Amino acid sequence: MVSRILTLGGHDFSSRPPDRAVSELMLRLATERAAGRPKICILPTASGDPSDQIGRFYAAFGERPCEPSDLSLFRLGRRPMALRDHLLEQDLIYVGGGSLLNLLAVWDAHELGAILSLAWRQGIVLAGQSAGAMCWFEAGITKSSGKPEAGAGLGLLAGSLCVHYNNEPERRAAYLEAVGNGMPDGYGLDDYAGLLWEGIGPPTAVTARRGARAYKVTSSETGVVESPLPARFLPAPAPAALREDIAEFRRIKSMRKRAGWLG
Amino acid sequence: METATRQIVAFGGGGFSMESGNPLLDEYVLGLCRRERPRVCFLPSASGDADHYVVRFYRAFPAEVCEASHISLFRREQGPADLREHLLGQDLIYVGGGSVVSLLGVWRAHGIDAILREAWESGVVLCGLSAGSLCWFSEAVSGFHGAPRRVEGLGLLPFSNCVHYDPGSTHGIAYHGLLRAGMRSGYAARDGAALHFVGSELHRVVASRPAARGYRLDAVEGKVVEMQLATTYLADPPPTVTALPGSTATAVAA
Repeated sequence: MVSRILTLGGHDFSSRPPDRAVSELMLRLATERAAGRPKICILPTASGDPSDQIGRFYAAFGERPCEPSDLSLFRLGRRPMALRDHLLEQDLIYVGGGSLLNLLAVWDAHELGAILSLAWRQGIVLAGQSAGAMCWFEAGITKSSGKPEAGAGLGLLAGSLCVHYNNEPERRAAYLEAVGNGMPDGYGLDDYAGLLWEGIGPPTAVTARRGARAYKVTSSETGVVESPLPARFLPAPAPAALREDIAEFRRIKSMRKRAGWLG
Repeated sequence: METATRQIVAFGGGGFSMESGNPLLDEYVLGLCRRERPRVCFLPSASGDADHYVVRFYRAFPAEVCEASHISLFRREQGPADLREHLLGQDLIYVGGGSVVSLLGVWRAHGIDAILREAWESGVVLCGLSAGSLCWFSEAVSGFHGAPRRVEGLGLLPFSNCVHYDPGSTHGIAYHGLLRAGMRSGYAARDGAALHFVGSELHRVVASRPAARGYRLDAVEGKVVEMQLATTYLADPPPTVTALPGSTATAVAA
C-alpha cells in the first residue's frame, strides 16, 4: 500500500461547500484503503483537545459511511485508550490545527512520532491542516510563541510548508525570509488549497475553493520564487439534508415503479 | 542579601478544581503570599488550557482577593509576551490538574521548566494539584491513564510523589511496587491533603477535609515503610496558645 499524506493550508469542519469538499476527499482516501467501513481518527493535540474542534469533526463525519473517533491526549484520564493499537487500526489519521510547538512536544512526551511514522509506512493515510499539515514536513512557520517563526516538524515529507498563505501576510513574509536564509525549499498553501502526497513522487495540488492556490517556493540566486501549481478542483458533495432528500426520493420512486405508477 | 524562602504546596487533590465550595486549601496558599492583594498566575497546561478550567480559576480567585492572571501555552498570541517576566513577577503560581506527561512536554517546549525553578528560587510560592503536584518532584507516579508508571518531574523536590493517594488501592499498591523497584523515597497525599515544603524539607501537612492525610514512604531492605503524617485540618481553630508564665490558664494536654 502506497504511503499517503494530505496536507491542507486551512479549512474547517463546517457545512459550507468547500469544507464539505475537503471532508469528502478525506472520506474517499480512507475508503480506498479500508477493507470495510473506514476508520477515521482526529488528533486534536495542537489545540489542547478542545471539545468544539472534536464536536465539529464528529458533525462532519458522524453521518457519513465511516467510523470516526478522537484520540485526546489531555483527556486520557477520563477515557483511557491504547494509543498505538488505536492509531494503527485506523485508515486515516487527521491532525487538527493549533500550536505546532506544543503538538510536537506533547507527541514527543507520549512517544507518538514513531507510531505515526509507522502508520504512514503501513499505508494509513495521514492528513491535517495548519499545524496539523506542517507537522509532517521538516519545517514550517508557526505562531506558537506569538509571532511567526520557524518550527521543526516530524520530517516524513522533505522540505518545508507555510499555511494560511493568502490570509496571513506576516506568516508568508516570515516564510519567504526563512527560505532565503536556508530553510529547505517547500510549499505555500492558501486556505482550502492542499497537497496530496502519494509514494515518493511530487504531490498533486488540490483546491476546494476557486482562487485558493498552492505554490512551490524555491530559493534561487535571484531570490525566493513562488510558482503557483496547477490544482485539481474538488467539488462539494450534496449537504447531508439534501442527501437524505435524494435518498427518500429514490425510495419513493422505486416503490412507485414497483407499483407500476411510473411505468 | 536576604535569601528568599522557597515554598511549594503540593495538593494530593483539592482546591477549586475538585472541592467546589471548600476554599480551605486555596485560602491557605493565598495566605503564604506576603502581598495584601497577591499576584496569582494559573497554569492550566496539563488540561490543554481548557476554557472551562480557566473560567473556574477566575471565579475562585476574584479581583477583590488577588490580581489573577493565566498563561495559555496553546494561545501564545494572547496573554503576556514575556513569560519569564510575567511569572517572576507573581506571588503565587498555581498549576492545574490533567496529564503530567503532556504538561512537562509543553513546559519544556516553551522553557517554562527553567523559569519555574527561577521563580521558586526567588521566593514565588508554587502550588498545584494532581499533575500540578507531581511536576515539582524528581519522580512521580502517573496514573493518568493505563497502568501507573514512573515519570520524571522537574526535580525541585528530591523525592517521589503520589497524588489522590489511598493506602491499599490499586494506585497505592502500584506506588509501593515502584518504591520496591528502586524509586526514591517520597510523599503521598490523599485528596484534600497538601504537602507544604519549605526549601526541600517538608514543613507541614494541611488538609481541607478532617480525614485527609499525607504520608511518607521509604523502601527499607525491599520493604515499604509507610508512615502517616500529622496533618492540620484547616477548619479547626488554631491550637490553644501555651499559657504565659503567671497566667492562670491551664494548657490542655492533647
